Amino acid sequence: MNRTRNLLKKIGWALFTILFVIILNFFLFRVLPGDPARAGIRDPRLKKEAIEMLRIRFGLDKPVINCFESLNPIELGSCTVNPLDTQFFIYIRNLLQGELGVSYHTNRPVTDILTERLWNTVLLIGAGQILSILIGVIFGVFAAWKARTTIDHAAVITSLFAWSLPTFWLGIILLFWGSSQGLPLAGKATPGASSLPLLQQWGDIIRHMFLPTLTYTIIYMAEYTLIMRSSLMDVLSEDYILTAKAKGLSTFQILKDHALKNAMLPLVTVIAINLGFTVAGAIQIEAVFSWPGLGGAIFEAVGRRDFPVLQGAFLLIAVAVIFANLIADLTYNYLDPRVQTE
Amino acid sequence: MSKDNFLEVRGLKKYFDADRPSFFSREPRYVHAVDGIDFQLRHSEVIALVGESGCGKSTLALLLMGLEEPTEGAILFEGRDITHLNDNERKGLRRKIQMIFQDPYESLNPTQTIEEIINEPLVVHGIGNNKNERDERVKKAMEDSGLKPAEVYLQRFPHELSGGQRQRVVIAAALVLEPEILLADEPVSMLDVSIRAEIINLLAELRITRQIAVIFITHDLGSVGFFADRVAVMYLGRIVEIGTMLEVLEKPQHPYTKALISVIPVPNPRLRHERIILQGETPNPIDLPSGCRFHPRCPLAMATCKASDPPFITLSKTHQAACLLLVK
Amino acid sequence: METSTQVPEIQNQWIIRLTNFWRTFSKNRIGIVGLAMLIVIVFMAIFAPVIAPYDSSSSASEIGDVYNPPSSSHWFGTDDAGQDVFSNFVFGARVSLIVGFFAAFISIIIGGLLGLVAGFFGGRMENFIMRFTDIMLVIPDLPLMVVVVALTKPSLLNIIFVIGLLGWTTTARVVRSQTLAVKSRKFVLRARAVGAGKGHIISRHILPLVTPILVVQAVLVVSLAILNESALSFLGLGDPTALSWGQMLNYAFGRGAMSIGAWWALLFPGFGIVWVVLGLTLLGQGLEQILNPRLDTHHLMPGRPVIQGKMGMALEKIIEKIIEKSPLLEVRNLSINYINEGKPPARAVENISFTLKEGELIGLVGESGCGKTTLMLALLRLLPSAGQIVNGQVLFNGKNLTALNEQEINAVRWKDISIVFQGAMNALNPVRTVGDQIAEAIIKHMPGFARDQRLQERVIELLDLVGIAADHKEHFPHQYSGGMRQRAMIAMALACNPQIIIADEPTTALDVMIQAQILELLDSLRKKLGLAIIFVTHDLGVVAEICDKVLVMYGGVTAEYADVDIIYNESRHPYTQELLKAFPDLTKPKKKLSSIPGYPPRLDALPAGCRFAPRCPLAFERCHTEQPLLHKLNDSQSADHIASCHLLEASK
Repeated sequence: MNRTRNLLKKIGWALFTILFVIILNFFLFRVLPGDPARAGIRDPRLKKEAIEMLRIRFGLDKPVINCFESLNPIELGSCTVNPLDTQFFIYIRNLLQGELGVSYHTNRPVTDILTERLWNTVLLIGAGQILSILIGVIFGVFAAWKARTTIDHAAVITSLFAWSLPTFWLGIILLFWGSSQGLPLAGKATPGASSLPLLQQWGDIIRHMFLPTLTYTIIYMAEYTLIMRSSLMDVLSEDYILTAKAKGLSTFQILKDHALKNAMLPLVTVIAINLGFTVAGAIQIEAVFSWPGLGGAIFEAVGRRDFPVLQGAFLLIAVAVIFANLIADLTYNYLDPRVQTE
Repeated sequence: MSKDNFLEVRGLKKYFDADRPSFFSREPRYVHAVDGIDFQLRHSEVIALVGESGCGKSTLALLLMGLEEPTEGAILFEGRDITHLNDNERKGLRRKIQMIFQDPYESLNPTQTIEEIINEPLVVHGIGNNKNERDERVKKAMEDSGLKPAEVYLQRFPHELSGGQRQRVVIAAALVLEPEILLADEPVSMLDVSIRAEIINLLAELRITRQIAVIFITHDLGSVGFFADRVAVMYLGRIVEIGTMLEVLEKPQHPYTKALISVIPVPNPRLRHERIILQGETPNPIDLPSGCRFHPRCPLAMATCKASDPPFITLSKTHQAACLLLVK
Repeated sequence: METSTQVPEIQNQWIIRLTNFWRTFSKNRIGIVGLAMLIVIVFMAIFAPVIAPYDSSSSASEIGDVYNPPSSSHWFGTDDAGQDVFSNFVFGARVSLIVGFFAAFISIIIGGLLGLVAGFFGGRMENFIMRFTDIMLVIPDLPLMVVVVALTKPSLLNIIFVIGLLGWTTTARVVRSQTLAVKSRKFVLRARAVGAGKGHIISRHILPLVTPILVVQAVLVVSLAILNESALSFLGLGDPTALSWGQMLNYAFGRGAMSIGAWWALLFPGFGIVWVVLGLTLLGQGLEQILNPRLDTHHLMPGRPVIQGKMGMALEKIIEKIIEKSPLLEVRNLSINYINEGKPPARAVENISFTLKEGELIGLVGESGCGKTTLMLALLRLLPSAGQIVNGQVLFNGKNLTALNEQEINAVRWKDISIVFQGAMNALNPVRTVGDQIAEAIIKHMPGFARDQRLQERVIELLDLVGIAADHKEHFPHQYSGGMRQRAMIAMALACNPQIIIADEPTTALDVMIQAQILELLDSLRKKLGLAIIFVTHDLGVVAEICDKVLVMYGGVTAEYADVDIIYNESRHPYTQELLKAFPDLTKPKKKLSSIPGYPPRLDALPAGCRFAPRCPLAFERCHTEQPLLHKLNDSQSADHIASCHLLEASK
């Protein structure tokens, strides 16, 4: 009963947050100087027909929203306009139809560019997250179990050092190393690889993924190691571990049956909170390794002042993070009986 | 009203909002923490409020201190209604009613020195014209609380003191305002047995030397025996029996009081006796039992107990109990 | 003394506090290393014009060629514009530090204020602030920074504001939860009871306890701001007029340093960032360790090896007399030390001996810190890693438990001797059902019960034995009330039909009526199942109700050991006598309680002679210099009445 209520509440909040991001995304680009639509019209790279198309699509001749003709510079307008006849409404309508505008640079619809890139980012973050969580948890468990030994000190110091590395810089260093090892340094696949058999195509992708994933894993593994260590240290000094020991259970049984799940719970929360930060890592890594993902799209869009792509990529990333966060949150609720049965 | 009754509590109630059982239920639910309490306190009298957890004794303490707003009822101090005072009006009153808490470690700020802690009430109330005057008062409060010589303790921090010393600091910080009533919420239950006696003796002494009335809140009937004048036994937000200490301890009338007294451990194996052990636990104060709220656990419950709420039966001038068995 | 009456001024107290803090901090290696690293870099930034060999604006034609490798004239080589990398590195420290500190300052002010307001005032305000914080926390920060900086001018000021305005969320959360935690503490309630207003409570009670956390958080936020600035610059959103380390990397990476192999242009600026961030991280860790000291120990750390000490002959004789023929459990002369690095070992338990027969209930009484829990844990070799058995034996059915290896002792644990811990809430695993935790012990020690129907029947039978309905089997500990949890703990202890149950303060923290229920349950189980019980408690009354024999401990040693009736009616040791007088007796109301002056000894400061001597009303000279041995009191009613007191030596 309360569980469903909790579930509905969380989903409701995620939806509200998405709505907030959508509105923020609209006004950010209208209030700050670089309004993409307006700037776009003046962009010399566009042909005349394209400008006309933009004008109709975004309703640029219409007021931004009721009462405001424009937000930068602020120009008051009529408040009695039909709300359906404003830029804001057209933005929402376009969004609902999956329309995010057209790239200034390639003239391709932003939606098309971003959907293929989204999966590349998911692939990179997914692989990196799984590896860093797995390795981080293992290191953390060992460090906590062998607390105050050389293993523990080494794990903590290494993690603190890895945590302090700027992601992109570690990428650059690994790039140097990779070039000496003959690893592919950029992109997702060797040109022309698409003609190869599927298995070899994947082999090629994995070789390309190696360096970016390694960078990602080193950076985030450090944090998970530290969190897992401290969480497990807390659990292992709880009274119920003493009970388990008094029951005659072996160290392995105690770790497996009494400590791990309890210690993993805080980690799930941290993973959820971290998702926003991991995207930051992905942008830097994709920039260094020219990985064709959303982060790479942002990097390129910044360089080319390609605002529609920037706007679309930000929206997509934010929504994806909110969803991932929701899933992590629900997983926590599912795992912790104290929440379920409250 | 008798001139002696300088603190009087009338029909005091405090309900807290409880969570609704489901998303769709409209009916609000309440935790009946304190549900109709009446008693009087005389000058320099010691009254013990005894009950198990969930009986509302700690909420009652917060209500008396004005730290919670009562839902219903009135608190009168020297004949004046102090139930709903604002912060300014209450400030003067706070000097007269002070409180000490169960856990002396938790009730001291770890970043303050003992001097700062005991001096703080004087600063808050702007008492003392100069530093010397305040120092004198701090020193006197400390020595009255058994922290002698005061200089030894002034610059120390709470973590440097033992549990008993900390409780003395809490008492000194209350005494420095020269209160007339001291509310002691389980002041000894966290302390070692050999230290408990000292703190109880100290409270007993203060009531004589400083004419302080003490409201002593405890779950342990055993610890009130030697210094309380009167005892009030509480169950689920109400007083079920009140009387002088001897009346309640030696001639208990309410079945709950009888059971509570019977389970007090007696430190002599030759006096092992039959104990009345009540089954189950105190029900939650959200869904109160019908009729007499003690009837589901009462070993003597009758059919009528389920239906009617027992009135207070006067057994002597000072002794009352709420039980249908006593209705003649 | 003249100074004793003079109270130092408040300023002096702050100096005392700071020196105290510095004393602790200077012992923290991690923190000191971090601070030293930061001082170096701050020094470098301040004296940049003096340190840098070349002016930051010198052009290529003046100083050298593009991408020259490190040499004596250019220690870090030259960059894409032929500028000296070392000089740019030195000046870059200024930019990176300025952005980091100012952005963090903005974040800390916003986050600190919002967190404080939300935590302290609560209600709708809190709800609104925290919802907003949650939303801002979920929105990925770097993409948002990128968008905002891309749309505005990438000037240093803009970057500082963007990073600062978007970096406050974690601070707000941390400060709010700390404020809430402090606010709910009893000393704040006490301050309110005294009449202190909101301003006073915030400034005197909340802020002193929130500030330390805020400082740690600030260190973290500075490092995040520096990392964010470098990432923004690297992505091409840095201020082109202020060459930060990130900006240097952006130029080098974007202008062919990779393909030329000019590693120096890429390595050194990044090294600067790592240096500062690592310094901040270490400093933060060090501060955190001081402010939030945690015991770096846990229950799975290896215990110390048992030392099988030799007993003196005299003592051996006494013990032979105490210990009857083949009892169930004999504890002989057991001593336990706590070993702390750099300190002499603390003698927590010394020369404890007692016996336990089948079906017998022995009470182990003592005040907190007297070593009774240490003794109990030592019986099953469950001591924390600092604890070490330094002498004595624990004989269970003639088998010496102190000589067993880990596997052998695991077979004895729970199967033969089980424990009911104090505070069952913490002693039960919160994420596993109660039934599951009971079944676990059966599976471990009784292989006959496979994971089948019979196992579940056994669990139900055990729960029934302690008065818990079968349908509670699938519930989690938090769904049980305090009394039920303690019953479940007892059911678990009975799971493998042990011969001995150690009950460590099983009724402390329970209500009197529940306490009586649990006592009755233990007593009836003992009779029904023929259990022997060691009942550890501080409560003399409880002991009198159910025990057969009593061992009174004081400061880690036996004060007195005898049948329960002797202890309560004919005790001989001054401590036992004083303790009984201090105990309120309802059969004698209105009798003034006598109290024992002073406090129990601390393990790290034990008196030289008898451990009770400083508080003993009968102590004489010898008591303060010589520790009394255990004596058997021959003139006692009881056959085995033992005490350690110089006064009783005559009656030997």
